[in-house]
Amino acid sequence: MPRPSLFGLLLVAPALALVAALFLWPLGHSLMAAFTLNGDFSLAHFRKAFELYSNDIVFTLLIIGLSTLLIAVISIAIAGVLTLSETGWLVAVLKQLYRWPLFIPFIVAGQCMRTFLAKNGMMNNTLVSLGVLDPSMTTSFLDWRGIVITFVWKQAPFVILMLAGAMASIDRSTVEAGRNLGASRLRCLIEIVLPQVGQTLLVALVLSFVTMLSVLSVPMMVAGSQPTMLTVDMAFRINAYGDYPTANALGVISYGITAIVAWIYLRHNLRQHAEGGR
Amino acid sequence: MITEARQPPGGGIGIAVRDLKVAYGGTRVLHGVSLDFAPGSFTALLGSSGCGKTTLLRALSGFVPVESGSILLGGEDIARLPPEKRGMAMVFQSYALWPHMSVHQNIGYGLKLRGASRAEIDAKVTSVLSILGLAGYESRKVTALSGGQRQRVALGRALAVDPPVLLLDEPLSNLDAKIRLAMRHELKSLHRRLGLTAIHVTHDQEEAMTMADEIVILDAGRVLQKGSPEEVYRAPNSPFVAAFLGADNVIAGEARLDGEALAIRLPNGGETRMPAARRVEGDCIIHFRANAVHFGAGSTRAGLRLAGRITQSSYPGGVYRYEVETPAGRFLVDDERRANPGEAIELLIPTEEMHVFPAGMPSA
Repeated sequence: MPRPSLFGLLLVAPALALVAALFLWPLGHSLMAAFTLNGDFSLAHFRKAFELYSNDIVFTLLIIGLSTLLIAVISIAIAGVLTLSETGWLVAVLKQLYRWPLFIPFIVAGQCMRTFLAKNGMMNNTLVSLGVLDPSMTTSFLDWRGIVITFVWKQAPFVILMLAGAMASIDRSTVEAGRNLGASRLRCLIEIVLPQVGQTLLVALVLSFVTMLSVLSVPMMVAGSQPTMLTVDMAFRINAYGDYPTANALGVISYGITAIVAWIYLRHNLRQHAEGGR
Repeated sequence: MITEARQPPGGGIGIAVRDLKVAYGGTRVLHGVSLDFAPGSFTALLGSSGCGKTTLLRALSGFVPVESGSILLGGEDIARLPPEKRGMAMVFQSYALWPHMSVHQNIGYGLKLRGASRAEIDAKVTSVLSILGLAGYESRKVTALSGGQRQRVALGRALAVDPPVLLLDEPLSNLDAKIRLAMRHELKSLHRRLGLTAIHVTHDQEEAMTMADEIVILDAGRVLQKGSPEEVYRAPNSPFVAAFLGADNVIAGEARLDGEALAIRLPNGGETRMPAARRVEGDCIIHFRANAVHFGAGSTRAGLRLAGRITQSSYPGGVYRYEVETPAGRFLVDDERRANPGEAIELLIPTEEMHVFPAGMPSA
């Protein structure tokens, strides 16, 4: 049926054109720039990127990996409480509180963390005034720990939102059947609830991972010193030297990391389909 | 009293429920239920939806908090224990199988929780599956099973831990009619073989009658009657129970005690005498099952006789079924004789089929 499909093509054409102009074309341009030197194919920019920034690549992976892990643990715990707790007030309070960070932009979160985590910041001051910490023992958290704390604080609510939704939609009686046979609520969470929402957890964590990989403001504001994350390096190459090719090479490396995560997700997804699961 | 109940060879433990009150968000659902479940008995909790039968079962299993009262399991009060500490195995209406586990894992999970070794679990799962006619299904995914097979796995999962008490929450209501009938008999014979105490929630009167040794009829959070299937069927203790078990035709009359007998008189003629099962004096209501009525002509049975006219006839097999219009209402009548619509006949309600209650007792 050529006529309807032509009409359909016309309908999606503006959207396609936008995607092509604003995403595909710059992407192709960046890839070209990353892999060429004076018009010839070359890996020189990648060599340079690895020479200068291999520490930062590892640092970025560690920070985001650790953040993702912590987000997973905290999200499972909070979503588990929201789903399985029998303490009504606790669930009500958590439900009200956990979403707030979702509405705060990364740059604002970074700014808040600067004042919260500094050597004389709110966290240390509070601990000192409570007598938990001696003023001489206070340290600044404005380094890799600050980045991880900010990422976890900002991204955990997103994962909780998806996970708690998925947990709420599983057949409640599967949990009751577990408890009926003698499983504690913690065991029910780990052995009965979690396997049924594993897919959702994986999707949420992959999305969080990719989001964190692209954040510039948090590493810039929370931890200025070396080592730092790839986004900061890219901004630096461009702003300080106008060195687009090396920045593009770093960008391609970020793509690569994202692609690995996406591949893990897709492979898992395919296996699930092959097994006839959801 | 069940408090002295010991575990019999079969493995069932008795339960004594004392003045159990349960409320959902301020609304009282159970108003002081007291019941005894003998060790090894099969009891059906029967009632229409909203009567509290499922709530009672969920209170026994620990899924709804008890407001007051006690649940004694072999003498120990478990009313405040969390579900995982009660040791009762439940079969859920939706089966509640774990979709991420195989048949083997589903059935073996309770044993795994009890710290059984892999070899013990394998042996038990194999024996449970063979009892249930599912031998060889160990590695199947539960999502790949039919409804009847899932039901068996759910039952096997509950039985694998050798529970003293088996709670059944309408386990057959999601099955096809044919499989449902077969499962009734399987469940019943399994129960007889294992000797555990079974409590079965159902709204299906026939299911309750065919499966249970004891029937408990509940309404609005109260126990109305408890007894063997014959007892509750033949001698309902209230208009509600009579109507719920099919005796839902009602005629108003007048009763008078005459020694050991009860003299019944209908306002527009017709009277009889019957043994007084209950002391009723003055205005009364008479409940009876429509299909217990037959033509009066030629019968010498004692009972109330009513003049009527046939309005419809059919032949469902065995006997003819008629709809008869009388001054007291329309009734279904089964009789072997052939008659035509429009024919005037006499109806006979045999005295042993009449359940007489004082007028004003709450009905269904």
